[in-house]
Amino acid sequence: MHFGTLIVKNLLRRPVRSLLTATGVALAVGAVIALLGMARGFEDSLLQVLQGHGVDIVVTRAGKTDRMTSVLDQRWERLIANIDGVERVAGALMDVVDFRDANLIGVFIQGWPTDSFLLAQLPLRSGRPLRPDDRQCVLLGSKLAEILQKTTGDMVEIEMQPFRVVGVYESYNLYENRSAIMPLEEFQRLMDRQGQVMAFHVMVHQAHHKSSLVEAVCRRIESLTDEHGRRLPLEARPAYDYVKSTLQIRQVQAMAWVTSVIAMVIGAVGMLNTMIMSVFERTHEIGILRAIGWRKGRIVRMILGESLLLCLVGATLGAIVAVAGVYWLSTLPAVAGLIQGQISPVVIGQGYAIAVLVGLAGGLYPAWRGARLSPTEAIRHE
Amino acid sequence: MSDRQPLFRTINLTKLYSDGNVTALVDANLEIPQGQFVAIMGPSGSGKSTLLNLLGALDRPSSGEVFFQGHSLSKMRDLDQFRACQLGFVFQSFYLLPTLTAAENVQVPMFEAGLRAAERVRRATELLELVGLSHRAGHLPRQLSVGERQRVAIARALANRPPVLLADEPTGNLDSQNTAQVLALFEELHRRQQLTIILVTHSSEVAERAERIIRLRDGRVIADGGGQPG
Repeated sequence: MHFGTLIVKNLLRRPVRSLLTATGVALAVGAVIALLGMARGFEDSLLQVLQGHGVDIVVTRAGKTDRMTSVLDQRWERLIANIDGVERVAGALMDVVDFRDANLIGVFIQGWPTDSFLLAQLPLRSGRPLRPDDRQCVLLGSKLAEILQKTTGDMVEIEMQPFRVVGVYESYNLYENRSAIMPLEEFQRLMDRQGQVMAFHVMVHQAHHKSSLVEAVCRRIESLTDEHGRRLPLEARPAYDYVKSTLQIRQVQAMAWVTSVIAMVIGAVGMLNTMIMSVFERTHEIGILRAIGWRKGRIVRMILGESLLLCLVGATLGAIVAVAGVYWLSTLPAVAGLIQGQISPVVIGQGYAIAVLVGLAGGLYPAWRGARLSPTEAIRHE
Repeated sequence: MSDRQPLFRTINLTKLYSDGNVTALVDANLEIPQGQFVAIMGPSGSGKSTLLNLLGALDRPSSGEVFFQGHSLSKMRDLDQFRACQLGFVFQSFYLLPTLTAAENVQVPMFEAGLRAAERVRRATELLELVGLSHRAGHLPRQLSVGERQRVAIARALANRPPVLLADEPTGNLDSQNTAQVLALFEELHRRQQLTIILVTHSSEVAERAERIIRLRDGRVIADGGGQPG
């Protein structure tokens, strides 16, 4: 018999209680994996969009917590383009609109210059690219076109104005496929923001030490001044940092962690209750084990082993449910394109790490109590 | 270490229970040589289980000393190791782990002896054979008779080949037939393996099977001697 066999058999002694406890842990870990997985998927996708277009730096208005409210003068693009190390610059305007008829909320519409390097990386599935003389025209992402049941040549209403779909693009990125792109001037007119952009997307020269160049260009952008020598209100961040510091992502992650911590506390309390009950019921037995020479450390290992095993079983159940649940959610039309169907193995690893913490938190006190039982008192215990 | 060194020696061994100011054992001075079959006898509350617990390092004396092979138990650093390797315990209520088979129960003390899994299995099989239960190795305690359970408990007590067996009322829950079997087993272990057996009982019939009888009353040793010749 291996020591692990004893641990497994101890848990199987009360199968219903063990199963219920593991289920509690599964719910906690499943919630953690699902929420963190979705948050991380959101972050990864946003980064993919930027990297996919070759964006190295994103410039927004300094001091703005929410980048969606960032307003920049489109003319500053020229100043940035003249900075040493900058290859290309493209101003961009973005907003979020609803398509109520299709029961679709939170769709990103992007306004890009028609000669922008951003558009060069966009593979079209049908139709043609945007042209400088396009008026009331839009490109739809494939997922958005599918949900709206529109194709090239159809008309689509955005912000109560009709737009002709001149093409449908197929990005490898989920979020981009669920968005629409129109010429920057058209979008500025639609949103009544002539001469304004939300951000500048910057591509730097190819270099051996690109990260150093990116950092240097960021510093140069942030030190730009106007004709009166006043510093422009610009904040330049490498694409990765920009994504990490995006308010919406931080909010989603904060919510995911808060929910996860609550779920973990509930899981740990459930585990604590189960293990204290288990130690109390086995007081006699623990006394006998101490009497026959088991060290306190072995008693601790046995009880902690039971607690950790329950948590790992719970974590496995939770991970399966979370992966299946998130995949199912991603197929629902209402959220299609907002949730990635896959969960990163790193997030699943985090779920297991949390399960181990829950196991330790729920098992340490009962293990300590079990180990400090006096053999004679434990044997006398009724 | 001299050959004449007693296995156990107690000097003025006293145990007071603070919760009720009860004096469980008073000034017990005993010597138990290696290989002796000793019965500790007395009515309920006479202090016999207290004496056994003190000899087995399950409890600490209020005053006095217990020496094992000349070493003071109070100065011994690792009493767990001492209990695991030098002593075998047999209890009145067997206390087998209910989810483990007979063979697995016998292996439980072996974890502290650092044996490999295969060696644990081999030794458990041998011990069950010794107590006549090799055919019941895969049975759970609830599938065994009370006599069989006590024999499994004896096999478990012998798991780490201790020189001493401490038995607290080992026949207290057994009928006469099983009592006879268990006592015969003790006698055989004593005779063939020169095992020191210290057995607590309130039954004079059981005590008389031992070489020496220590009688206690109100926590004091009132007689020491008698029993069957060794």
